[in-house]
Amino acid sequence: MPARLILFLALVLLPQLRAQPQTSAAKPADSNHLIGSNSCRKCHPDIWSTFYRNPHYKNLANAPDARPGEPSKAAGCETCHGPGGAHVAAGGGKATIIAFSQLAPKQSLNACLVCHENTLSRANIRRSQHTLTDVVCSSCHSIHKSPVAKNLLARKQTDLCYSCHSNVRAQFSMPFKHRVNEGFMNCTDCHNPHGSFAPTWRTASRPRMVQQALANEQPCLKCHSDKRGPFVFEHAAVRVDGCESCHFPHGSPNPRLMRRPVVFTMCLECHNGRGNFGRTADGVTPQSPSHNMADPRYRNCTTCHVRIHGSNADARFLR
Amino acid sequence: MKFLGAVLITAAIALAQPTVAPTAEPAGSTRGQNAGAYNIVNSFETGYRFAEIGGDLGKYRSDVNFTSGVRLLSSSLMIHSREGHGRFFDQLVLTTQGLGNDPYENAILRIEKNRLYRFDMSWRQNEYFNPALTIASGLHGMNTLRRFQDYDLTLLPQSSFKFFLGYTRNNQSGPALTTIQVFDSRGDEFPLFSNIRRQRNEYRLGTEIKALGYRLNLMHGWDNFKEDTPTALTAASAGANSNDAVTLNTFSRAEPYHGNSPYWRVTLIREDRKNYAVNGRFTYTAGRRAFVLDEFAGGTARFGAFNRQVLTYGDASRPVATGNLTVSLFPTSRLTLTNHTSVYNVRTDGNSYYRTVDNGTLATDFLNFQYLGIRTLANETQVNFEFSPMAAAFGGYQFSHRRVSSIERLGFTDGGAPDLAAATQTNRLHSGILGVRLRPIKPLVIVLDAELGRADRPFYPTSERDYHLLGARIQYRSRSVTFSAQARSNYNNNSTSLTSFSSQSRNYSGDLSWNPRTWVGLDLSYAKVHLYTVGGIAYFASGAFVRNDRSYYYSNIHHGNLTARFSLRRRADLFVGFSRVQDTGDGRATSTGAGIGSALPLFQTAQTYPLTFQSPMARLSLRLRERLHLNVGYQYYGYREEFSNLQNYRANTGYTSLLWSF
Repeated sequence: MPARLILFLALVLLPQLRAQPQTSAAKPADSNHLIGSNSCRKCHPDIWSTFYRNPHYKNLANAPDARPGEPSKAAGCETCHGPGGAHVAAGGGKATIIAFSQLAPKQSLNACLVCHENTLSRANIRRSQHTLTDVVCSSCHSIHKSPVAKNLLARKQTDLCYSCHSNVRAQFSMPFKHRVNEGFMNCTDCHNPHGSFAPTWRTASRPRMVQQALANEQPCLKCHSDKRGPFVFEHAAVRVDGCESCHFPHGSPNPRLMRRPVVFTMCLECHNGRGNFGRTADGVTPQSPSHNMADPRYRNCTTCHVRIHGSNADARFLR
Repeated sequence: MKFLGAVLITAAIALAQPTVAPTAEPAGSTRGQNAGAYNIVNSFETGYRFAEIGGDLGKYRSDVNFTSGVRLLSSSLMIHSREGHGRFFDQLVLTTQGLGNDPYENAILRIEKNRLYRFDMSWRQNEYFNPALTIASGLHGMNTLRRFQDYDLTLLPQSSFKFFLGYTRNNQSGPALTTIQVFDSRGDEFPLFSNIRRQRNEYRLGTEIKALGYRLNLMHGWDNFKEDTPTALTAASAGANSNDAVTLNTFSRAEPYHGNSPYWRVTLIREDRKNYAVNGRFTYTAGRRAFVLDEFAGGTARFGAFNRQVLTYGDASRPVATGNLTVSLFPTSRLTLTNHTSVYNVRTDGNSYYRTVDNGTLATDFLNFQYLGIRTLANETQVNFEFSPMAAAFGGYQFSHRRVSSIERLGFTDGGAPDLAAATQTNRLHSGILGVRLRPIKPLVIVLDAELGRADRPFYPTSERDYHLLGARIQYRSRSVTFSAQARSNYNNNSTSLTSFSSQSRNYSGDLSWNPRTWVGLDLSYAKVHLYTVGGIAYFASGAFVRNDRSYYYSNIHHGNLTARFSLRRRADLFVGFSRVQDTGDGRATSTGAGIGSALPLFQTAQTYPLTFQSPMARLSLRLRERLHLNVGYQYYGYREEFSNLQNYRANTGYTSLLWSF
């Protein structure tokens, strides 16, 4: 059975592994030649008239052969769209030039990475979840018609993210939430849509698109710096499994973005004596016999264990 | 211009449970005005916001917090050099929102001179109010002001030799409530007043060098944190449990907590687009904090008048080191292989000298030492193969090895033998992912993916152990219609011979944007977020140790969002929206439970928490002149819990404003 499987895979996959010819859009004809951006502006005045506001304009304005009032011939439109000679000769058309609307997602990604490679924020773009699912540069960025002041986004950032992640929109619409819909925060305060390094606060590679902050820590601690420590007595769950052990990061029906409507059920789900880790090998310590859950005063754990994220004075987080 | 208009309208339509103000519609010419070598686009929206709240004001302030007053609701200034050769700058973008007392204020500035410098500033301020009634019986409320500032200057941004300078400041200040439990384990809990004063300052200096196809990025940062929050009792108190004899007459606490976390980050990146890409990153952070705590409590303990002084001092340190190596290979144009290896090592340790003096007599005097070390090694290999433009597949395998070590040492100053406990535990995780990507026609994308993971010794009963994730996503995009839908489930089972934990999370959502004409548009979304967990618990009740009980939690959230926009002959824009979140819980009519999980009534009342939060809104924007719009908006917020009306509220909010462009 394994031999048949290997043979089958070989027959199916090996022909695919041959180098594939480039599409005409990605590689215009050899006879093509550069014509300079001045030629482009004649037929595309709507793009040209406001292109000086585009961050890509600096490529044109600062090219070695650029002169005031006279665009470069070595840089500009053809840097991304390829030589335009054939395009002009044919009187336009998407087949004679690199038109991003016609490119396959991977081709589009490669075209942008020609210049936007080698940056720290995009170091993991090849393995990012977005790339794996065909969400590439042009899915979120509008190079010529961006309505947003920065980063050439095709829409306002939250709307852009919600258009695919509408379940996240639901989370940010909860009574308790981080203030994203209010414009106070952005998704990119915590996430890197271009892909991130493996999270240091979890065992698995998930969450996949969460950006490390403060060099190598959870992004939550960038703002919630009082929870960062170091503390002599750390609540180990914060370091071992991360803030998500107890909190929903986007939004929650519960105060302080808690995972449960009351604290004691959340605490007891871990503190049940299971395992053999920690002091005197008694696992995650169960509550003390002095606690009586039949008495309401013992149901608000954090009334006494106030320093639940970590303490310098008390191993039980009492002060 | 027609397309630009369509883009702007789309941007305005597709708002995500928006706040009614500021107005999304632009005023004036998007082409702006030329002044010398520059082009200027400028607009201000200023007006009056009102809010009328009925019900629980504290909960409203926690969820929404808009209040009445005059505001600079938003502003935008964009100046660009028309030739890309401005004298002092080539681009200046300044946007603001909510200035003048809105609870969410921000300002963002970018100034850039091509080839010479780029400066980015972000300033944000948040009025944070949280009564948190269900936490510590509402005794941990907060009314603080959070302010975040980020400043980044890049010199020579387009050259092969760049410099980075940065500064970040993060403040939190304001009154809050906290609690203390004194004088012994059978004592009482007392509310205290706390004046929060926290500040974080971070300074960054870095460079980036590009040579021989490699890019080396170096960053060094100095991160200082200090907290000087005094805590005190404002009046003598009988405590939260007034039927006991314990009282607190006086209490004060000072606990300065200062330290720094300098860090290094080194990254080397190389991308050869034809055959491979490789990058490596190393980070090191050396965190250190010093602290002193001086606390005095005086009152009545179980056996009569009592006073106690607690003195604690010491320091804690936490060096953190990470290393990452990512290699991507492109054997053919259709195949991408990537491997990501990461190493993470953190060691937290510290000494805490602890002394208590009870009624003038030294009662406790010892020295704690605590160590927590975590070392994780993870490797992930991925394959992404494109069979054809219509079909592709991806898969991967990940292995993680984590070791957690702990040392707890309790030393006594009277010369007694220290109490020492050390423990180590390792956890290995194997997981695999598999997915397909289909594009049967160009505007349609279908993605199916799955992940299966097995961990042998996770650390917590609720950690992921035997889990699987299934996901499906479909998206259709044309000029006038965008439709996307997704379904995702995450099942985890973490069971041992002693306890078991099981969680099932499923969510389904769909989003439709329809913009048939430039003057009309519709955005509609629905999501269902379902969570069901059962966890084994153990606790004491009335002197008995209860084992093998179960904590059960059921949340069933439905969220609908509808927005629509109409433009009337370019003279008026009407925007209407409605958002509703409803957690239907497990369907029970009362909080007393449905006989699932624990038999203890107090656990049954915490099993589900049905509520409704909804917000309809409408906004009319009238064009008085080419550069002047009059806006009127109304938004209602309604919050309702099924089992109690203590926190319910309703609020009528709105605004009227002038949006002026010049």
